[in-house]
Amino acid sequence: MPVVELSYSRLQKLLGKVSKKQISDSLPFLGLDIESEDKDLVRVEYSPNRPDYSTDLGIALGLQGLFGIKTGAIKLNIKKSNDYVIHVEQSVSKIRSFVTGIIAKNGRIDDTMIKQLMAMQEDLHFGIGRKRKKSSIGIHDLDKVSFPLRYTTTKRDHRFVPLNSDKELTISEILDNTDVGQDYGAILGNSPLVPLILDSKKQTISFPPIINAAITTVTTKTRNLFVEVTGINKDDAEDMLSVVATILQTAGFTLVSTKISGSKNTSPKLEPKKILINSVLINQMLGLNLTNSQIISSLKKSRLDATLKGKNIVCSIPSYRFDIFGPMDLVEEVTLGYGIQNLEPILSPSQTLGQTNPISIKLKSLSLIMIGLGYTEALNSSLTSKRVLYEMTNREPINMISVLDSKSQEHTILRDSILPGLLENLSRNIHTSYPQKLFETGTIFSQGNPINEITSFAGISAHQDSTFTEIKSILQSALKTGFDLDIETKTFSHPIFEEGRTASISVHGKTIGIIGEINSKTIENYKIRVPVVGFEISLSGLILD
Amino acid sequence: MSQVFHEIEKKIITSLKNNPKQTPENLEKSTNLSPDQIRRGIEWLKLKELAIVNESQTINISLGKNGLESFHKGLPERRLLDLLKNESKKLQDLQTELGSVFGPAMGLARKNNWVDTSEDKIFLKNYPSELPGEKTLKQIGENKISKNEIDIDDLPSILKRPDFIVEDIIKTKEVSLTENAKSIEITSSSSAIDVESKVPVVFVARTHPLKDTIDEIREIFVTLGFTEIIGSMAQPSFWNFDALFTPQDHPARELQDTFYLDGLSAKKIGTSEQIRKISESHKKNWRYYWDINEARKMVLRTHTTCVTIKHLAENKPDEARVFSLGRVFRNEKVSYKHLVEFNQIEGVVIGKNATLRDLMGIQREFYRRIGITKIKFWPTFFPYTEPSLQTMVYNDRLEKWVELFGMGIFRPEVTKPLGITKPVLAWGGGIERIAMLKYGLDDVREFYNNNLSWLRSATKCQ
Repeated sequence: MPVVELSYSRLQKLLGKVSKKQISDSLPFLGLDIESEDKDLVRVEYSPNRPDYSTDLGIALGLQGLFGIKTGAIKLNIKKSNDYVIHVEQSVSKIRSFVTGIIAKNGRIDDTMIKQLMAMQEDLHFGIGRKRKKSSIGIHDLDKVSFPLRYTTTKRDHRFVPLNSDKELTISEILDNTDVGQDYGAILGNSPLVPLILDSKKQTISFPPIINAAITTVTTKTRNLFVEVTGINKDDAEDMLSVVATILQTAGFTLVSTKISGSKNTSPKLEPKKILINSVLINQMLGLNLTNSQIISSLKKSRLDATLKGKNIVCSIPSYRFDIFGPMDLVEEVTLGYGIQNLEPILSPSQTLGQTNPISIKLKSLSLIMIGLGYTEALNSSLTSKRVLYEMTNREPINMISVLDSKSQEHTILRDSILPGLLENLSRNIHTSYPQKLFETGTIFSQGNPINEITSFAGISAHQDSTFTEIKSILQSALKTGFDLDIETKTFSHPIFEEGRTASISVHGKTIGIIGEINSKTIENYKIRVPVVGFEISLSGLILD
Repeated sequence: MSQVFHEIEKKIITSLKNNPKQTPENLEKSTNLSPDQIRRGIEWLKLKELAIVNESQTINISLGKNGLESFHKGLPERRLLDLLKNESKKLQDLQTELGSVFGPAMGLARKNNWVDTSEDKIFLKNYPSELPGEKTLKQIGENKISKNEIDIDDLPSILKRPDFIVEDIIKTKEVSLTENAKSIEITSSSSAIDVESKVPVVFVARTHPLKDTIDEIREIFVTLGFTEIIGSMAQPSFWNFDALFTPQDHPARELQDTFYLDGLSAKKIGTSEQIRKISESHKKNWRYYWDINEARKMVLRTHTTCVTIKHLAENKPDEARVFSLGRVFRNEKVSYKHLVEFNQIEGVVIGKNATLRDLMGIQREFYRRIGITKIKFWPTFFPYTEPSLQTMVYNDRLEKWVELFGMGIFRPEVTKPLGITKPVLAWGGGIERIAMLKYGLDDVREFYNNNLSWLRSATKCQ
């Protein structure tokens, strides 16, 4: 989850008469988890579906609603203008089809604001931008840009001075030699042409989705901004734009429209959308009896607009709240506006009778029997390693099921047997008193259609006098007492077990597993100093369906 | 009632009754037991509070080379005074007579006003009958004696002189009987055994503590009217993600968070209607190209929600309470708070009258039954529920609120394509976290270490 750092004193400035404690108590009720606090600073985690919470300005809007300082939707006041035109050329349609943008004038930008804008941009890129693939954003100093602009394409030998650089680089050099180029260049694939925004003086403004030009760099001296968003989907690009527009307006900028045309592109409207709801759905879902006016006031506290129309409530959702899909999302908005702390939990009598799964019941019985026989239950990961599964026990890996890109070397392969894990457990306990008797029931995996999951059961006994007879007696008693099953053993060979002291186990003529004295090589590999005997059988098809 | 003793104990007690304070070495001689038997016997008696062992340190002192010389010839200053007893003498003559000790002897004699000088001669002024240190020298003589026996006022005067006094630190143990033991009658034979003595520790075989927690949680939900369902750990992405409205380009679906099974895809992932409706819902709401091959990719389930949603999609009940309990997987770095594989419980209530308050009520009741009463609810976000909440519970040991189960009502984008028409309340969370609170563990890895010392000692009923 993304994190934003807030300053209580800045929030207090934005909110008015609200104490630090009131703020910190209320942040969780916006869905913001406080990660850490240090005097005036607080770091909160916000959900990726609320990119408006990536700045303190956005969070202040939410808190104003909760505190009742300002309620209702934030309306974007966009001045109409014909001065800011972007022509889109046909050539972009196969690479990155859409561009949209807005002008923000007469604002003040301090260092904190620049930091927050950068952070918001990064979070938008990562979240709804899907690492810039779906849409990406560029914020420019308007006064360095000469309209009209052209959204076009260029060859990879095109040169300009990119952001944070002092010399001209070609597109290829940017993609090969800069961090952003290496991180995001793959989005452009192998296309010989790449997208580019040029101004009327043929200056490069931006090379989306990779980097802006240095010439339009925003500093604390910048007063007027040009924000552009490019992407592969028009609606996504406009969603992203509306978050930035809302935050900039909140920061005191005056918004002015852009005019976009060409190759299926149109000017952004950033208008609220309307969703109809009624009190029945809300009360049914929440288990409350809210009146229409309570619902409307709760929605307004969640910074939405709502009016009554007949029996329905018409809810107007500002464009930056694209996390709202339909009426159920508004149920949540009502909940938050009403306050979760005001919802009293109720325990209604159950209309259904509960039942433990028969598999759980049988496995529980089996474990109680094993405990009666003096065996302690062990638990091992089913995702384990080649070392434990194969190398230490001298088994040959066949049709291993591995996971991709595991962050832990000890967890790369799904186990096809439980015994190797139990042997590894013994090796970690060689300084603990013997006898050591362990069992485990759990899932083992094999390739099938596409994967077979089988419940397996294994036991081991390690002490100075452990013998084949002992372990066979144990398994025999466990299955006889538990499930009235008789086992037979037949000479067999298996790499985990000692030759001549290994048998296959069968019940009613069907082979279910293997039993024997553990091979001395395995024992040595694990530096275990006592003889070990063990078994493993499949319970699926035997006592489990 | 008479106590029962081991033969070794009997011998030691008897010996100490005759000779109340003995060193272990003495006891060896008086009882004919080996040093090891004596050591063990003393330990047993100490545990029973029948014997006390006083460890003391004594300093033995004897005379060094110069000390011995003075013992035989007299202290240098005494020798000086003796030489002057009858007549005054020239300094040179005294020097010749006394040699190297003349200087210090003369210094002392002058300082104490025993002698004086006139022209080139030294004469006696005073003849003390006993000089400081003489008494001590006489007392020690050629023996070793304990420092305690020495006149403590007289010792310092010669203690500082080089090689006069040699100190030897001796540590001694002295065993004696306690008051209780003094009244013990040792009987020579009896069939009685020592019923009060300590016995060896044996270890019970037991179920795994985490399994105990799992069983407890299972039991609670069954008694709350829930039926347990079990599903596969390896799932097509379709049920783990797509059916739960998680778009295919969502960061949670990336390799770095989810375990994909190398080269494995499911041929059959759902009915054609399920696939069609889910893909439509994704295209409409998330605006991207939905790829069925992406949905076929096999993953290790990241939650058990895939099991319950599949169950609901297959059975479409109007009224049901089901839960699923089992292992889930996340591609994380293993640490004291994260495992790649852990247990999760996840349950749903479906019913025409199911409300968010019911969901909160079930949670509160569950926590009450596991002994947690301080809880509150906070909003949160999950892709497949709306509204979404999380429970915060107060941990007295850590003195802070910790996050436990998440919950919410399944989004219509989840239920509608699968033909589920009634509201579905869903909740779930990790079991290890609860077990950690229960067993007071700070490191979640402990559950899977299979450390026998811990398994054998963790209290079963917490």
